[in-house]
Amino acid sequence: MKNYSFNLRKFLIERFGDELRYFPVAFGLLLLFIFFSLQSDVFFTSRNINNLLIQSTVTGIIALGLVFVLLVGEIDLSVAATSGVASVFMSKLIVDFGFPIPIAIFLGIFFGVLIGMTSGRWVTLIGVPSFVVTLGAGMLLNGVQLLLLPRTGRYNLLNTGVDKIAATYISGFYALVLVLMTIIVYALFKIFSLRSRLKVGLSVSYLHNFFIPIGFVSFFIFGTYLFLINLKGIPMPVIIFLFLLFASSYVANNTKFGLSLYAIGNNIEGARRAGINVNRVKLLAFAIAGGFSACAGILAASRILGVSVSSGGGIGGGSLLLESIAAAVIGGVSLFGGRGKIIGALFGALIIATVSNGLNLMGVGNELKLVVTGLLLILAVSADKGLERFTNV
Amino acid sequence: MHPLVSLENVHKSFGGVKALNGVTINLYPGEIVGLVGDNGAGKSTLIKMISGVLQYDEGKYIYEGKNKNIKGPLDASRLGIQTVYQDLSLCNNLDAVQNLFLGREESLPWWSGYKIKRAVCEVKAKEVLKKLRLENISLKREVGAMSGGQRQNIAIARSLLYQPKVILFDEPTAALSFSAAKKVSNIIRELSDQNLAILIVSHDIHKFIMDITDRIEVLRLGKIAGSFKTNETTGIQIVNTMVGGNENTNLSG
Repeated sequence: MKNYSFNLRKFLIERFGDELRYFPVAFGLLLLFIFFSLQSDVFFTSRNINNLLIQSTVTGIIALGLVFVLLVGEIDLSVAATSGVASVFMSKLIVDFGFPIPIAIFLGIFFGVLIGMTSGRWVTLIGVPSFVVTLGAGMLLNGVQLLLLPRTGRYNLLNTGVDKIAATYISGFYALVLVLMTIIVYALFKIFSLRSRLKVGLSVSYLHNFFIPIGFVSFFIFGTYLFLINLKGIPMPVIIFLFLLFASSYVANNTKFGLSLYAIGNNIEGARRAGINVNRVKLLAFAIAGGFSACAGILAASRILGVSVSSGGGIGGGSLLLESIAAAVIGGVSLFGGRGKIIGALFGALIIATVSNGLNLMGVGNELKLVVTGLLLILAVSADKGLERFTNV
Repeated sequence: MHPLVSLENVHKSFGGVKALNGVTINLYPGEIVGLVGDNGAGKSTLIKMISGVLQYDEGKYIYEGKNKNIKGPLDASRLGIQTVYQDLSLCNNLDAVQNLFLGREESLPWWSGYKIKRAVCEVKAKEVLKKLRLENISLKREVGAMSGGQRQNIAIARSLLYQPKVILFDEPTAALSFSAAKKVSNIIRELSDQNLAILIVSHDIHKFIMDITDRIEVLRLGKIAGSFKTNETTGIQIVNTMVGGNENTNLSG
């Protein structure tokens, strides 16, 4: 019996250190869902889940980009401001200069990438802490945003075509094809990596490396599909978020660039000695954060049909900045670099959106919403810390 | 026999401080050389110069009889000169395989975003660990959770991946237990038997340097103060040369 419990402990330690690392966050999310479903009849309905998912996309996409910067042990406090200024820049191109929509969107995102690269270059070249550089950049960009806006303080995007992005739903046959394609691509990817292991004579666990991950992904994607399909279909912002999530996850977990993010975050000197171009990797991380922030800003503009002074969370980034950082951190990404997974941004963003959405339905005021979100942030990080101690014995 | 690597009459200053003042050192295949000296004697400067991290102000870097211009660690690495750093240079959040291949992973072409060939790396990692008789090291565990000895062994294994000819060890036993240090000694011995040239910087003269090396070079104030065949000298003599004391006085405690 003693022997058995020892093995169970070892099993738990190994699993929690690895694939079950997200179990507590996912479990927390599940508890929140159950709690709010009991509190409000409206919470667990297609319409509300649809809203909740859309609400989580803007924060989620910014958090996703932020994860890259956090992994190398830096921070970008200008992500919210970048999302604001990029969306205003795009709107100006469309409304004042008559640019075609796709080109304006491309230039908006490119503007975000450029902002990220400039911050990254400044950090690596001059050696000023990213906290300071991006804090300053955020204020500067808030100023630029005001300069770009017309006297009215607002660009209206209704009927320009940009508004269509957030209003588009993939439904019916196409939605089913999209869902199945996603699952098939993921399965093919898993088969490909299993085959490469078998080819060189390594052992493989079909259960752990194929059936469990495929099962999870299929369950969630298919479940979401079934839940949303009888309303309007799958909202475009959610599709964009999930696409960026899968792409980022692939890059961070499988590529040389991804591995160098983790290496730099843990031991920058060691990474340098191993021949990694540390400055270039950091620059790219900031560029990704900038580009993703711009995407999020454009989505937000599309959803609220325009841009204004308050785009990008308003002056200082407001709650958009705080919630994006909180989402990444709740999702298990360390502020000290080298720790955390991309998928954490999804969990974090969903938790924040769920709390906000659920408390709204309960008729709770903004003051309590802030208190609860703050407590959750501290709780999530504490749970993660405890788990880290448990798995490092 | 010609030396594999020699630094001839090298000088190096940091501002007004003369760290190395006309030092010559030769490394031969199959020989283990100990480099000892008091703090500030210039050991680190010399080892960094051989590994290409630092460049000399004056002098010559000769490899297999030819003058070389070493501009950085990668140049030295291409010649087959590898360094095992004192801090081991490992990333604690990565596993053994990832650490072994860091910066040199085999990958698929650009269209895959340079996807790492994890399976190939794992097989190669197994091979090199087997060669060192370290099969018991878990490939998938974060190295941060491993013991000091295991971490040291991974750092050594990393230096062996690309058929090196020279390995420089900076304080390889400083943080290890007696038994772990013994194991590292055995590994270094075996590498030397495979005809690698080995240079070890260490403060552990009596138990480690006297036990493992064939020759000992003593640095003092940026100059070679003495060069000894290990089997013809004593730990006391080495320590006295290090501190510039009288040979008849036992300063080693």
